[in-house]
Amino acid sequence: MRLAWGLVAPLGLAYAAFFLAPLLILGVVSFYQDEAMTEFGTAQWRRFLLDQFHWKVIGDTLLLGLKTVAATLLLGLPLALVYRAASARWQRVLLFIVVMPLLTSVVVRTFAWIVILGREGLVNRLVLDLGLAAEPLRLLQTELGLVISLTQIEMPLLLLPVLAVMVRIDPNVLDASASLGASRWRTLFRVILPLAAPGIAAGCALVFASATTAFISQSVIGGSRLVYLPAMIWQQAMVVAHWPFAATAAISLLLSVSAVIAVIATAGRIAAGRVEAPTHG
Amino acid sequence: MSMNRRRALFGAASLLALPAPLRAQTRGSVTTAIYPGAWEEAFRDHVAPFLKRQSGVDLEMQPLFAVDQIAKFSASRGVPPFDVFVLDPGPRITGIERGMFDKFDASRLSNQALLPSMLVDGWGVGCAAQVVGIAYNPKRVPKPSGYADLFKEPWVSKLGLTGFGTTFGTVSLIEIAKIFGGSEVNIEPALVELKKALPKIAAVGAPAAMPGLFQQGQCAVMYTNTQTVTTLKDRGVDIEFAVPETGASAFFTTMHIAKGSENVANAYKYIDTTVGRDIQTALQKPPYNFVPVNKDVPLLSGLPMKSLDDMTKFVTHDWAKINPLRAAWIEKFNREMAK
Repeated sequence: MRLAWGLVAPLGLAYAAFFLAPLLILGVVSFYQDEAMTEFGTAQWRRFLLDQFHWKVIGDTLLLGLKTVAATLLLGLPLALVYRAASARWQRVLLFIVVMPLLTSVVVRTFAWIVILGREGLVNRLVLDLGLAAEPLRLLQTELGLVISLTQIEMPLLLLPVLAVMVRIDPNVLDASASLGASRWRTLFRVILPLAAPGIAAGCALVFASATTAFISQSVIGGSRLVYLPAMIWQQAMVVAHWPFAATAAISLLLSVSAVIAVIATAGRIAAGRVEAPTHG
Repeated sequence: MSMNRRRALFGAASLLALPAPLRAQTRGSVTTAIYPGAWEEAFRDHVAPFLKRQSGVDLEMQPLFAVDQIAKFSASRGVPPFDVFVLDPGPRITGIERGMFDKFDASRLSNQALLPSMLVDGWGVGCAAQVVGIAYNPKRVPKPSGYADLFKEPWVSKLGLTGFGTTFGTVSLIEIAKIFGGSEVNIEPALVELKKALPKIAAVGAPAAMPGLFQQGQCAVMYTNTQTVTTLKDRGVDIEFAVPETGASAFFTTMHIAKGSENVANAYKYIDTTVGRDIQTALQKPPYNFVPVNKDVPLLSGLPMKSLDDMTKFVTHDWAKINPLRAAWIEKFNREMAK
């Protein structure tokens, strides 16, 4: 046991020095009354919390995360099911395809989406050439376009934990379910998904955290008319140099995102619990 | 192999034994703050080697945005983290107000006579200019005559906007405000007009996203600087620069010696090198496309002036007045433009 503590000490100390300490400083800075950081007070918190606009920004940020989670789940889960049933060789191929986006930087992927979604981009050229619309569709600078691109950008974060639990599901359990007369859908909802729930919850939490804080994608693809918390924090910290207010917004982002992640984790635990419950009828 | 190593070691040892002046050409170093990205690249590729060759001074660079330079200096309490600031007009005023700069003596620059007088003062010297006007795609829209045109068809439905986050965005929005009865300290009329036009406007984007949006045809007209126009043109984008009828705006990126710097002599050498003919010529070329500040450097085509002296006719702004208002403007822009 003592050895184990000794082994985690370097990482623990690094976390304390480079994560906890800055977080504490962030908390302290948010309680400065003024921009020049001379006296303490709750002015920044009052300014943030008593303003309807900021609540709307928090709501929009969380909603963007939830929409991205929903879209990645909708597209990612079928792939995970295919992966589970595939041969070892195909699993390797699929895994490579899933991981591939991670090999390019987020910035490059984001700017690639400008080329795809733009007025003269790939999607619009296709739509116009096929005669599906007379005018180019407006995809860039809309929430829809942002969710589409975030879905692709964040997909590996969902799939990696989900694939990891999928391959561990014992095929005998599925055979047992089938031989006891359960339909495929019933097996999916009562056996596979509950067994995969911890992985799905972990993936959802990662996608949610990453999508709500995806500053580059939000500002480049979403544009300035869609205001989310990360862009606001950046503006306050880097352009206006109002650090106390930036700190307040940053902590609000941290707390609101953590709260939703806690809900996702709890939901994952409840869903995983269902598999052990006796099923009647 | 071991023989070689021994010889190399011996060589190094004998070099160390030489009297100091013969050892190397190094005459100390100077540390400069520099904007990350294009500036950092340009200075690493051109200024650092040139300074080393010409003066034997090593250039060390700290990539920092303007706000970070101010913050880092404030936090350093008397021991400056770098010797030279590189700043835009807004942060420059902050630096002056907070007493962050040494008094600047332009007579220590060999290039002093070649710099337009509007670029030099008791606090520092301009090392690059920005000329701001309207960029448009000549294949999609006619040339706009001024900022007022941006609010009419065929321009308004192809207009790309950015807010007060950058210097060029701020001065453009001020110029728009002036047309509708506002001023340097009253941008309200610009926001009112923008809000009215908002349903038709093609894009409201982050400054860094604008060139990409223009290239992809998302917008076909926007306010921007000549540097962006030249860079996009070099990449084959259909783009031209139009000088608004109310005049192009101009401002300068300036260099300042940090108060308490211990390398003042080298700092002057570095600044002198930067504004010198060779470096200014190199920085004017692609991919940097800086607007030069040295009268000896012939201006490339595409710039809306024949000589640097013409720049005195351009519109300039008083950042001592703008600075205290800008935070509120940024917030206002967020709210008014938000969906």
